[in-house]
Amino acid sequence: MGKRKAWGTILQASLAIGAMGAVLLPIFLCQTPWPTVARDYLVEHGQHESGAINLVSAIYLGYRAFDTLGETIVLLVAVIGTMGLLSRVESMVNAVGDDDNTIQTVSAFSLRGEKRSSHVLRTHLLEVVTGKIGPIVLLFGFYVMLYGHLSPGGGFQGGVIIASGIVFLALGNQQDNTSALSKSSILGGIESVSFLLFIIVAISGIFFGKGFFGNPLADSAYPVGFIVLLNSIIGLKVGASIGFMCIAMMGGHD
Amino acid sequence: MVERVLLLCLLLIGFWGVVAKKNIIKKIFGLNILNAAAVMLFILEGNRIGTEAPILESGLAQVVDPIPQALMLTAIVIGVCVTALALALAVHLYQITGSFDIDTIRERVKDEA
Amino acid sequence: MRPEDIVFATVMLPLLGASLAFCAKILPKGRIAGVVEYAGALVGLGLPPLVLILLFPVVFSGQSVSGVVGQWFVGVGITFRFDALAWLVNMLGYTIGAAAWVYSLGAGPKGPAFTGVFLIQTAALSATIMTTDLFNLFVCLEIMGITSYVLIPTSRKPGATLASFSYLMVSASAMVFFLLGTYGFYRLTGALSYEGISSGLQAISSSDTMLSIVSLALLVSAIAIRVAVMPLYGWLPDAHALAPHAVSAVLSGVLIKTPLFALSRILYLFPFGMEVGELMGIAGGLTAIVGVVIALSQEDAKRLLAYHSISQIGYVVAAWGMAISLGVDTPAGTSLMVAAFLHAFYHALFKGLLFLSVGTTVDMAKERNVYVLRDGIGKLRDAGEKIPVTFIGFVVGALAISAIPPLNGFVSKTAITYAMKGSLSYYLLSMAAVGTVASFIKLSRIYWPTRKRGSLHLETGVSLGTGSNPQSKAHGLVARLTAQSALAVLCIAGGLAAPHILTIVGTLLSRGGTNSAVPPTLYSTDNLLKTGATTLGGILLFFIATSKIGSRVLHTIRNRPRSFQGLFVSFSLGTAFLVAFLVVGKFL
Repeated sequence: MGKRKAWGTILQASLAIGAMGAVLLPIFLCQTPWPTVARDYLVEHGQHESGAINLVSAIYLGYRAFDTLGETIVLLVAVIGTMGLLSRVESMVNAVGDDDNTIQTVSAFSLRGEKRSSHVLRTHLLEVVTGKIGPIVLLFGFYVMLYGHLSPGGGFQGGVIIASGIVFLALGNQQDNTSALSKSSILGGIESVSFLLFIIVAISGIFFGKGFFGNPLADSAYPVGFIVLLNSIIGLKVGASIGFMCIAMMGGHD
Repeated sequence: MVERVLLLCLLLIGFWGVVAKKNIIKKIFGLNILNAAAVMLFILEGNRIGTEAPILESGLAQVVDPIPQALMLTAIVIGVCVTALALALAVHLYQITGSFDIDTIRERVKDEA
Repeated sequence: MRPEDIVFATVMLPLLGASLAFCAKILPKGRIAGVVEYAGALVGLGLPPLVLILLFPVVFSGQSVSGVVGQWFVGVGITFRFDALAWLVNMLGYTIGAAAWVYSLGAGPKGPAFTGVFLIQTAALSATIMTTDLFNLFVCLEIMGITSYVLIPTSRKPGATLASFSYLMVSASAMVFFLLGTYGFYRLTGALSYEGISSGLQAISSSDTMLSIVSLALLVSAIAIRVAVMPLYGWLPDAHALAPHAVSAVLSGVLIKTPLFALSRILYLFPFGMEVGELMGIAGGLTAIVGVVIALSQEDAKRLLAYHSISQIGYVVAAWGMAISLGVDTPAGTSLMVAAFLHAFYHALFKGLLFLSVGTTVDMAKERNVYVLRDGIGKLRDAGEKIPVTFIGFVVGALAISAIPPLNGFVSKTAITYAMKGSLSYYLLSMAAVGTVASFIKLSRIYWPTRKRGSLHLETGVSLGTGSNPQSKAHGLVARLTAQSALAVLCIAGGLAAPHILTIVGTLLSRGGTNSAVPPTLYSTDNLLKTGATTLGGILLFFIATSKIGSRVLHTIRNRPRSFQGLFVSFSLGTAFLVAFLVVGKFL
């Protein structure tokens, strides 16, 4: 019976894969030359209109910034949902009173007589190295974030690097005295406030006669300021959200 | 041509993972492979009309189409968010039912509800 | 302020409200945080209707506000269009959203995080219907999706987590295929806006027709998952039945309809749109009848309602699909579209009311089984309800969904059947109406008085931590009753003011008056006779269903095998069938 069921499953799945594969063939095999209209327009006018040399930044923070707003909203909701579910998991574990889950360990790396309540994988080696690398990674993250309009990078990429810097700092906390950056209340605050700022910036174009999501600095000498501003806000928001989520998944959130 | 056929295979492998694998974590892996195949196809084909990265440092070079890259940036972030949420749901399901197997989860949830 | 600036207020105000709610989350718990959260909700749900009223003269005169977000270049930027359709769907979303949020104050889930996510969902609905850009539609659908995945498990039932996971997997996979569809159209035309694509598609070579067919099919089937049309409905019942009641009301009232109307913007413009409409119309008719048969077999009260959502969306899709296949510029097509929208709107009202009232009753009685739960009125009285508002709400909703005359369900169902008389879907929908009556007689048994003291076994193992059920009697009573009575009043008013509403919606959707819709005659002898026959048939069907053979058949239907895999298999086969249908129609 079990074997028959397994064969039925495989048969059904093959049917699904076969149907989808046949449907997708024209998509993957299409030989039509790629259209160049949009590319040509952007090469000619993109830098002038948005101020950014990096055309990808020009698109996702200028021409199609509304998509980017949607993207940050998805991130925000995902973080809230993940935190809600994980906190529920933790409360269940605590309710059961299962003390075995937190490993009160004396690992090979800890010093004699030292009291550690943290996880077995937290060794001195890890703490020292990540604690030292953390600030450098943060600095690099801010560089990528702020130079997004000139070089490969931008708010999302920089934000993710900032998040890894935050994770390094959280890992490198010796004796569990958590630094301010790895406290969930502070990260949550940065996240909420930068979301509010993003929306205010998005609306601001209306008051300059540029319409919703228009560039309020379009007529000034530095139209690129809008992109730099958005990059910074997004970088902070992404860094805070993802750092927050990673710290929660490591089990360090209060 | 060959690379596109390989991408189609990759996409179907991902879809197979989502459809046929019993373990929900493997299903989530499958979803990521599926997503990655679509993103790679978009980027690969968008790069056929040029040779340079879309950064206008040295005048009007033969740059690639920047639109697919900007769109895929969004799609990748959305994919990551969905994955994070799916993993959190999987952890929660494991806490409730003590299993990662989709059939077992279904049965145990039905018993409880 | 130009209208271009104001229309985005319907998206930005809820987002602003959401960001206020998130700021309330980081404030220390107390009065200030509460005030900030409620201010956010007020900004997000209270102000947009005012903006819509402000915009009414614009859309009523047949104009539409369209342009590019941020006045960027049209070939790269995101185009949008705020017209009568967008206005109507926005109105639908904000009415139900406000009622459901007020209800959630009384019955949970509560808290700034819930309010924020709820507001974001409302904003996404508004953005989905306004956008005319394919990739932006992708982003909007993803926001709608991810907010539902987050909101469904807030009911803290184990099944809800599984339902949310299934919905996430199937809809996230479908969105990848949506992305591939976008790729196909971008590759062919180099544009992402609907108008750019449709004008680009005029010029493609015949060898590329296949690619455009496949791309369209991928878009349509990814959206059909959200709408839960016939073969793709598998995720819906669990998700809607196990979500918190307020979320269920929004999910089945608004969330499954918005993508449908957003899809109509694509199908108006693209080649093969009419053929897709034709096929979806037939699928809608089948959905209506299959949904109602399965609904009749259910024993869980909320699951019964969830299957009715499938059935009723079948009505909407049937009328909508036929409207598109006839062409929206013809009078017949416009009348069908009016009927489809009206039914979508009225269904949102009465189904929202039913979810809230039945949800309240099963919460108070702590029993969801239709066959066990009795004396719902007594249970409600024990919970502190002096006047049985919840029961009255249920009666209004049940009569409306069964299309009994003065109520709104009668108006919209009559409008649909009037406009499609003689077609295949007409007969399917008439049969479905009989089933609806029967299953609501069945559901109404939860309010019948008990003959003997029934065994009252509690829901076991369901509530994790603090459930969403309010335990204290008076707690949240006012909020719940306000929401229910508001919806009940709207149901009755929608029925009584039917001629005016039909005229207004007809004018709005007829795009400047060249193709005015034909308003149906509502209270003709014919229609009344049909209603009487349907009701009698329903009562008869109810007795057949409760007989020995009937209940055995229903038991078989209820316990039919359902699997997670089946969702994907039906998705793949449905997409393949759609492609085959279009190819056969084109080349043979």
